[in-house]
Amino acid sequence: MFEHLLNGFAVALMPTNLLIALVGCLVGTLIGVLPGLGPTATLAMLIPLVFSMPPATAMILLTSVYYGSMYGGSTTSILVNIPGESASVITMIDGHKMAMQGRAGPALAIAAIGSFIAGTFAVLMLTFVGAPIAAYSLHFGPAEFFSLMVFGLCTVASLTGTNVAKSLITTCLGLMIATVGIDLVSGAARYTFGNPFLQDGIDFVVVAIGMFAFTEVIVTAREVREGVRAEIVKAEKVWVQWKEFLYSLPSILRGTVFGFLVGMLPGAGATLSTFIAYNLEKRICRHPERLGTGDIRGVANPESANNSASGASLVPLLTLGLPGGGATAVMLGALMMLDITPGPLMFQKHGAMIWALIASMYVGNALLLLLNWPLVNVFARVMSVPAKYLMPIVLVISTIGVWSLSYSEVDLVLTGAAGLLGYYMRKHKYPIEPLILGLILGGRMEQAYRQALIISQGSNVIFLEKPISLVLLIGAVLFLLLPMILKKSKQFMAARETSVEAA
Amino acid sequence: MDTFKKVATRTRVEGLVVLLVAVGYLWEAHNVPEFYQIPGVPGPTTFPRLLGIVFALAGLWLLVSPKDLMAFKKGAGASAEPRAPEAAPTAGGGVLGRIAADWHFYTMWAVILGYLWVMPNLGFPLATFLLLVVFVFLLGEARWHVVLGLALAATILIYVSFKMGLNVRLPLGVLEPWFK
Repeated sequence: MFEHLLNGFAVALMPTNLLIALVGCLVGTLIGVLPGLGPTATLAMLIPLVFSMPPATAMILLTSVYYGSMYGGSTTSILVNIPGESASVITMIDGHKMAMQGRAGPALAIAAIGSFIAGTFAVLMLTFVGAPIAAYSLHFGPAEFFSLMVFGLCTVASLTGTNVAKSLITTCLGLMIATVGIDLVSGAARYTFGNPFLQDGIDFVVVAIGMFAFTEVIVTAREVREGVRAEIVKAEKVWVQWKEFLYSLPSILRGTVFGFLVGMLPGAGATLSTFIAYNLEKRICRHPERLGTGDIRGVANPESANNSASGASLVPLLTLGLPGGGATAVMLGALMMLDITPGPLMFQKHGAMIWALIASMYVGNALLLLLNWPLVNVFARVMSVPAKYLMPIVLVISTIGVWSLSYSEVDLVLTGAAGLLGYYMRKHKYPIEPLILGLILGGRMEQAYRQALIISQGSNVIFLEKPISLVLLIGAVLFLLLPMILKKSKQFMAARETSVEAA
Repeated sequence: MDTFKKVATRTRVEGLVVLLVAVGYLWEAHNVPEFYQIPGVPGPTTFPRLLGIVFALAGLWLLVSPKDLMAFKKGAGASAEPRAPEAAPTAGGGVLGRIAADWHFYTMWAVILGYLWVMPNLGFPLATFLLLVVFVFLLGEARWHVVLGLALAATILIYVSFKMGLNVRLPLGVLEPWFK
């Protein structure tokens, strides 16, 4: 295994890939800093650009943007009291208090250190745990895969949004959109309504850009008109004392481990994992009353958790082909566009690319630590670029992104429609993540379903007969019932509420 | 009538819409010609039917969910509060009043959708320039030299970098005769 990793480093450290990783980290940090543009939207917009790149380079770019955004989000949370992206909401509580107390430097430093430790942990786990999980999942047949995807969709449906029925609706909608087009097995044209452009189906990038980028622009535009510019605290020396580091170390470690465990669950994105890890921390740590008053652990813990979780969400993606959240769902789509079928065979067929990706994550973590240290104030300054200049540019670039896919006017219309629908959904608490997930997984789900039915000769009971499949389906149902059971837990409900806006 | 208003919340209407869409979806699935069904193999309508049913059930749940009905039963006061933001009529007379108050919002959407519609024909440079001008203005920038300058600079910069740098075919549209 180590020789795989070393080969991976050989690829990751190639000048082109190194440069791409650097660019990705920079872009990611910027995205994390700027409110209104989340990692998922950016990844969706980057996909048309990565078309022409070799797969390893493309994935390195996408992953480093994802990683970088976790770092960037903490900067704004601490300095400006505005979360750059939703996983940094908790960091804001203690982080900004510390900034107001003149301790922005240590806060930023511990955020960077905690993120580095967590990120490295996540990649280490990926290194050791990835291949065995993939090997195990080779035992999965079509029925198990179908149930796995149902499980994944149900966890997303239950963990995002305020109402399980609404989440189910959006999931089904995503799956239904995936059925549009010519059915590859039988050749039947489904839901094309005679329009030749719909025969190829509706590209998820079109919908993703519409629902994330366009919707986000309008949402931000409304806030810009109504909102106020917050004051930006300047960070002095970005350094933390050894004593304080030791004080926060247990919180960092706990955040890392819990963030990783929850983040591995398909459907639990970085946001939810951070909430859960932080709540556990509040119960376990010594002197919990200090949290919320400017305690450095209130920064260390969530920052470690969200970096660990974002690394963890790559585990189901690379081993099972099941996205761990919105951003990884888009990455899954990117992989499929690059002609790499995610799944257990990925380690065997495209092992070199995966190991290069893992190696570049080590590199990326180090790069981000080095970048964030000196450039923290610069990144914070970026926030002062008014949204009214930035948002229209985002519109234009999103349009170019959609246009460059197939140079089709229909795509543009569809993206506009998706944007409208996305806005309605955002406004009325219909989570968007399950829709994108359903759209991306729809084709494979149907394929698995049909294959399973062929094996069982038409009997639906096969999904209950196979033990793994049965366990997964029971798990799916349990997750759907979870919100009802946990209704009393206010924090759980709060986490779900925030994750509706998670992009 | 009042009871009807309390019951017919937005969520229930949404549930009804979902139900109708599900029915439409299932009906369309039904319309796929029979000869596509290969015997012994799940055909092109199996999965859509399953989806349609789940979709319909979820919509039905939204439609008849007893949650807020139970709160309603507990006391008119309790249920009035959460309903207020949903059914809020703005002071100032109905739909037109609301549109007038929110005209920025509707204009922004109109401009975006218009941009997506005309961009291929009008050409990227012109359409983008117009979009940027209108949007930056709508977002609050009142200084015309900034608006026009930014729009022009951004359009040119984006056009050049995407066309030359990334080889994306951006249509010239109306400006074609001048450049050919």
